[in-house]
Amino acid sequence: MNSLVLSYPRHSLWADYIRAVGGCLLCGLPLLLLPVERWIGLILASGFVVFALFCVRTLLRQKTRYVLSGDTLAADGPWGSLIEWGRLDRMKLAYYSTKRDRSGGWMQLVIRSAGARTVKIDSSLDGFYDIVERAAQAAEACELELSHATRVNLRSMGISVAGQEETV
Amino acid sequence: MLNYVARRLLLMIPTLFVISLIVYMIINMPPGDCVTSQIDELLSRGDANALARADELRALYGLDHSVWYRFFHWIGGVFRWDFGLSCQDTVPVKDLIGERLMLTIVMESCTIIFIWTVSFVIGVYAATHQYKFGDYAASFVGFLGLAIPNFLLALVLLYVGKVYFGVSIGGLMDPEFIEKPMSWDKFVSVAKHLVIPTIVIGTSGTAGMIRRLRANLLDELQKQYVVTGRAKGLSPFKLLVKYPLRHAINPFVADIGHLLPEVVSGSVIVSVVLSLPTMGPMLLNALKTQDVNLAATFLLFVAVLTVIGMLISDLLLAALDPRIRFGAAGEK
Repeated sequence: MNSLVLSYPRHSLWADYIRAVGGCLLCGLPLLLLPVERWIGLILASGFVVFALFCVRTLLRQKTRYVLSGDTLAADGPWGSLIEWGRLDRMKLAYYSTKRDRSGGWMQLVIRSAGARTVKIDSSLDGFYDIVERAAQAAEACELELSHATRVNLRSMGISVAGQEETV
Repeated sequence: MLNYVARRLLLMIPTLFVISLIVYMIINMPPGDCVTSQIDELLSRGDANALARADELRALYGLDHSVWYRFFHWIGGVFRWDFGLSCQDTVPVKDLIGERLMLTIVMESCTIIFIWTVSFVIGVYAATHQYKFGDYAASFVGFLGLAIPNFLLALVLLYVGKVYFGVSIGGLMDPEFIEKPMSWDKFVSVAKHLVIPTIVIGTSGTAGMIRRLRANLLDELQKQYVVTGRAKGLSPFKLLVKYPLRHAINPFVADIGHLLPEVVSGSVIVSVVLSLPTMGPMLLNALKTQDVNLAATFLLFVAVLTVIGMLISDLLLAALDPRIRFGAAGEK
């Protein structure tokens, strides 16, 4: 398998930056401009921290490139990691949506190999399908037990994993 | 998950702002204001200075400014825990709502815990004992709970308590503790008085929850994987807890968001009937007298509770069951 170099598209990163800055302003401006009661200030400060962390996470994503090969997935950047497919010991594919009918959401893949740092990838990443497909093959080879949610989400992407039928 | 939390929080903040704006404007829409009724009373008593007094009062309550100015003044004050003056007694709204807000939160929390606990136990029992006596009994009680209005149940319990047991059920504490600071004796008194309101307000919510949990669990229990598990000789308890219960509980969790506002709004009439010193009766009076600051503050708290309830239920659902649903399409 040839190596694939993948990264988050610019429009997705910008959308996240806008969210992060918007949230920081909504929570931070009242703290800066208004006299604020102590515990309301605490709530606003907590919100500010969440959006600041979100901004840092977006920055980390911008600086990270993912190199997918037959044997490994390298997250090349700050807080990087190297996933060896042969030693995969955790895989979770989750779906999140902020809408009540749960449409228009996004997937998140969480993978880890023995001794390495966990890697979390969102579906906005170019080549997300390739990574999920490779991870599913690795999970099958390593006989990893996948959660019900992961199996359903894999099926929705058209990826099936042998030996992962409904078990009780 | 951070992505999810950030997006949900980002939706929450403008939602709360828009709700408070709409609520404030709607309360201001009827003709007249809270001073009108006070002036009518003074005029009927033949007070010659009534009209001059009206201008003074309007200036005091800020009613001589535009509604937009008053809204932004009020919402700016919210950050300082200053909700303006109440027209009823010319006292700050924060002084009026202090203990009532706390008692309301305690009562609503107890009600929600009651609803969850009772409906979980009865719902699971009814589903696992389908068409047995216990199931019919639970369904009967459930339908009764749905059919009887809360205020009627409150009236019946008031009557039964007074006539047959000689106890007064009204209020949230014994009279000697009213307006007194919190103490152990007062806490015990509040705890004793909480039982009846909790049952009265929680009954209808419990009935609905029992029906939903029973239906969801029955759906799951009839699926093939349960039949396979049973054929393999799994114990009934393990067979119930491992998957069916976990899946059946999702709509249960999703209901938290609806439960909070339902319980708050459903408790208003019950609070009036049972003379409970909670926010409900004061809200009713504030709306009748067009006490905008007081009513808008109450409704802001209801909105905050609703939005927080929705956030908690969405976060729990996202953590418990991050599955894609039929028809839901990912962005990519």
